[in-house]
Amino acid sequence: MIENQKNWRSGNSMLLDLNIERFRYSGSEFDSLQDIKMTLSPGSLTVIIGESGSGKSTLGKVLAGILPRQGADECRGKINLAGQRIEYTDLEGQRINVAGWAKHVGLLPQEAGHYLSRIRETVAEELVFSLENEGLPRDEMRQRISGISKHLNLDYLLERDPAKLSGGQERLVALAALAISEPSVMVLDEPLAGLDSEATAAVTEMISRLRADGTAMVVLSRTAKPWADNADALVKLENGQLSKSSAEDRLQESVSVPTQRRAIPGNVEVLLDFSGVQLGYEGAARPVLDGLDLQVRAGECVGLAGANGSGKTTVLKAAAGLLRPTAGTLAVSAPTGMLLQNSSDQLFERTVLREVSFGLPKKGTQRLRVPEVLSRLGLQDYAETHPYELPASARRLVALATVLVREPQILLLDEPTEALDSEGMIRLQEVIDSLLNRGGAVLLSTHDRDFMHSTTHRVHPMTRKPEPTAWTS
Amino acid sequence: MPKSINLHPFTVLALTAAVVTMTTAAGLWWLSCAVLTACALVAGWTGHLRRLAVLSAAILIPTFASLLLIHGLVSQQASGLIAAAGPFRVTVGGLETTMVLGLRTAVLVVAGLLCTLLINKHQLVAAIDLSPAPPQVGYLLAATLFLVPHMAEKQRAIGQAQALRHMGTGRGLSGWFQRVRLRAVPLVLASLQDAHDRSAHLSARGFPAAGSHTRLRSVADSATQQRVRWISLLCAVLGPIAILAPLWGSQ
Repeated sequence: MIENQKNWRSGNSMLLDLNIERFRYSGSEFDSLQDIKMTLSPGSLTVIIGESGSGKSTLGKVLAGILPRQGADECRGKINLAGQRIEYTDLEGQRINVAGWAKHVGLLPQEAGHYLSRIRETVAEELVFSLENEGLPRDEMRQRISGISKHLNLDYLLERDPAKLSGGQERLVALAALAISEPSVMVLDEPLAGLDSEATAAVTEMISRLRADGTAMVVLSRTAKPWADNADALVKLENGQLSKSSAEDRLQESVSVPTQRRAIPGNVEVLLDFSGVQLGYEGAARPVLDGLDLQVRAGECVGLAGANGSGKTTVLKAAAGLLRPTAGTLAVSAPTGMLLQNSSDQLFERTVLREVSFGLPKKGTQRLRVPEVLSRLGLQDYAETHPYELPASARRLVALATVLVREPQILLLDEPTEALDSEGMIRLQEVIDSLLNRGGAVLLSTHDRDFMHSTTHRVHPMTRKPEPTAWTS
Repeated sequence: MPKSINLHPFTVLALTAAVVTMTTAAGLWWLSCAVLTACALVAGWTGHLRRLAVLSAAILIPTFASLLLIHGLVSQQASGLIAAAGPFRVTVGGLETTMVLGLRTAVLVVAGLLCTLLINKHQLVAAIDLSPAPPQVGYLLAATLFLVPHMAEKQRAIGQAQALRHMGTGRGLSGWFQRVRLRAVPLVLASLQDAHDRSAHLSARGFPAAGSHTRLRSVADSATQQRVRWISLLCAVLGPIAILAPLWGSQ
């Protein structure tokens, strides 16, 4: 049991010392983690890079005390945290008080929305959810909200409903909700995924500030790029084992292969045409966007760029037919297929094969294409696996497979690179190139600048300003 | 846009309880009508009249129909016959019973629905959290109240994902049944998965609170409201006894 409430930030050169000999999920036939040794000191930044399925999220959960699950997972090793020693043996592990542990080690999960309680009406209340449960006085909570929202530029979100945030805004709010509790160690799983440049800068600055205050940061990331210069330790996780990262790992920026995009002549057929389009959601005080003029031609890949909450997803949903314009005209002259930002929203069958085959006529030609599409995306070995059991990158590719099997001519991709590992990125690039060569069109939104520049013919800026909100501390 | 009322949620609940118990005990048609009219006026003033009417009608029309079938159309009373045909006998007494029982039910339904429309569920959870009640009560209420909106949101997301695959897009009654069939299993599985994914982080955030806890949200209250609540609760408990006690003596 970790019950020590003392703040261990000061006067201690070691906050956490972890030595995991092996960790294996219940029912698994192989170890997910092996010989993991880590020491975290106050103010340090440890970056762990690894592909999807390498064990990053598992390691994050072990650090956060969420794993191993008592009586289920197998774990052998020990952790020294806040002056207390936790020992796991093959026979029995110590029961961890997760709430007590979280006061020392906080985890921002890869799907940041899972960190939010969703039982509070406003973002401000969501931010202080853990402080309320600790019994912190109201004035102190207000002060902390004021401080964190100032650092992360969250003022305009404070009175918003947490359930109605964009993906990037959700991640930012989850990070703020974690940071507001001031744990001495913060484990961040892909903290910059889906964030716009402004939010990325705010988060990076926030991390520097927290480090200066003595918080040890652990970042789990696919690439070393944004972190390499500031990291105290940069290690690579591969097949559940840590190794020192090579210079190549540090230099690796993105696997996006620059593509030579030839200009699209003006006389080429327009497949997607937004003309003075206004889009909004029922019951909202004002439209999400107004006066949108955008054309996407055959063979063209257009990127939507803009801040979190600027309406990129709304445009893609309208093109897919999920949302009707409230004004203007939207002409779609070819079949569309859309990859949603959150793969979990798109997957609901028991196996990958059933998922990709869902809704296809039993004797149709599209059903015959299922094995080919799975093979094309490297998913053939997962055909009988439950989609939720796959690593995040493979899950994203399954969602993409459900789209591709219907042979869309217009591919709509919402943050397609989010959670994709390098192999997944290559597959995605191949899919886009193939569609464009066949005379199709792609409209995508992404905050991945490298991917945007290497993939798109042109970028359409989305300039919606966030709604101002009054907040007094 | 519905108007919000600045009453403590417990005050609204206590007043509703008092009105419903005393009106039911009194069993007077004119009192039930007066309460229903008062509810309609409050709903109109706060901007909930249309919603209240729709929800009430959805419950009360089948209720009145079944009461009419049981008491009004096959009355066993010998006197006051209005019409008779085969097994059907419509009597004055039968119609009176239908009306009295129907109006009693209507008071319970309309006042109860108005209460749920007037109370902000976030304010109610906060009020319970800030009361001396055990933290588990607030937790249970929050989990119950917010389960439906979560599932509705999830159901919309599943519906969108299926619509992208041209499934569950049919119109009319058959389209509705198809949507229900296609979404039911994924909805349950996704909700279970979601609950599993969130539970570890909720625990990490100290929910439900083991000891004393606070809320950022404040719930306005006053000494007058506290007095009203106590009086209402006394009326809810003692009122029916006071009304029914003389009748017990006379029977």
